[in-house]
Amino acid sequence: MSVMRLGYVHARVTDMTEALAHYHNTLGMQLVAEQPGKAYLKAWDEYDHHSLVLEEGGVGLVKLGYKVEHADDIERYEKRAQQFGVLTERMSKGENLAISDGLRMVLPSEHVLELYYEAEQTGTATGTLNPEAWPRDLIGVGVPRIDHCLVTVEDPDTVERFFGEVLDFRPAERLVTDMSDDGELIGSWMFCTNTPHDIAFIKGGNGKLHHFAYQMGDWSEILRAGDLFSMDDVSVDVGPTRHGITRGQTIYFFDPSGNRNEVFAGGYQTYPDFPTITWTADQLAKGIFYIGRELNERFTSVVT
Amino acid sequence: MPTVAVAGYDVQVEARPGEPILAALCRRGYGYRFGCRRGGCGTCKVELVSGRVEYFVTVSADVLPESEHRAGICLSCRAVPVTDIEIRLADDDRLHCVAPLLLRGRENRRTNPQ
Repeated sequence: MSVMRLGYVHARVTDMTEALAHYHNTLGMQLVAEQPGKAYLKAWDEYDHHSLVLEEGGVGLVKLGYKVEHADDIERYEKRAQQFGVLTERMSKGENLAISDGLRMVLPSEHVLELYYEAEQTGTATGTLNPEAWPRDLIGVGVPRIDHCLVTVEDPDTVERFFGEVLDFRPAERLVTDMSDDGELIGSWMFCTNTPHDIAFIKGGNGKLHHFAYQMGDWSEILRAGDLFSMDDVSVDVGPTRHGITRGQTIYFFDPSGNRNEVFAGGYQTYPDFPTITWTADQLAKGIFYIGRELNERFTSVVT
Repeated sequence: MPTVAVAGYDVQVEARPGEPILAALCRRGYGYRFGCRRGGCGTCKVELVSGRVEYFVTVSADVLPESEHRAGICLSCRAVPVTDIEIRLADDDRLHCVAPLLLRGRENRRTNPQ
């Protein structure tokens, strides 16, 4: 049928101990498995085996995994991807711990994206029978789930076309230089679920990570997360504030290796008939940081 | 405690034990261009003009390649001075004073040596 959601992010970290202190002690993800040089984590409201894999050595993104609904979706997306002209290969069950076989693609932006249809289900922290509202033993921020990822790409037009034509994503918001016929696309926020974005990209170097984000319940949880970042000396980039684009509430911050994370709440709902919103570059600062309306140099320059 | 001086500016601050260059300058009210402050982006690289620094945490070779390290470039959010050092900011960067209150404190302390 279709791509259901962002299922996993694999990120590189320079020091695993420091990274786990951040993702487990501060953010409250649960460590579910370890392999030499790798750690698998999940957030409390996720039912699949893991959503984050940390790999020791370097910084930045290894790959993203999006989960599709059915096994036979893989073949359809494989055909379309090949027609589009991107490099594909089949991956077998077990190549990724607890993840089914699937398809690996190298995007025009050099990012590696995997599609899979099954993951070992280990359940949420509250279960599925008469569940409580939230688990009482949350650690730190207690992030409920991973939400989206923003990457930088040299050619936003082609990447947007890829996600649209191959994977059936739709643009919720687009950032263009101006509204003239010569206006160029410099960013796109695309969805496959009914959130404002499941993937986003802005113009920049290929293969780079801008951030990946956790979805929080509301604005007060964002503030509480910010308090914890101060207590734990987490390097904060911007926020708490609101985005014009997506209308979400946010804090950008960095993990101990310099990978940018976000806690994100709110935002509107999208549907297949959602009319795309356009932002022009002269309003970029307001689009990104709606309240302060000022871009810091880091927003566009700091990627891993 | 080792001191950090910045070439082209009349600035000298002390770095606490284990305190990286960027943190020492920020603590005393100065600022310059930096990014993640965690060694991931390379935005805060500076030239080490004199003195020695050490890294007490792992720094990715993707961010600070060995060739740059040998050429005297250091990642100022992670590099800890182990002797008095002088750094030079990138040509298109400048040192600015973001908290004059802290500068006055520094001058007061000068008349009252620790």
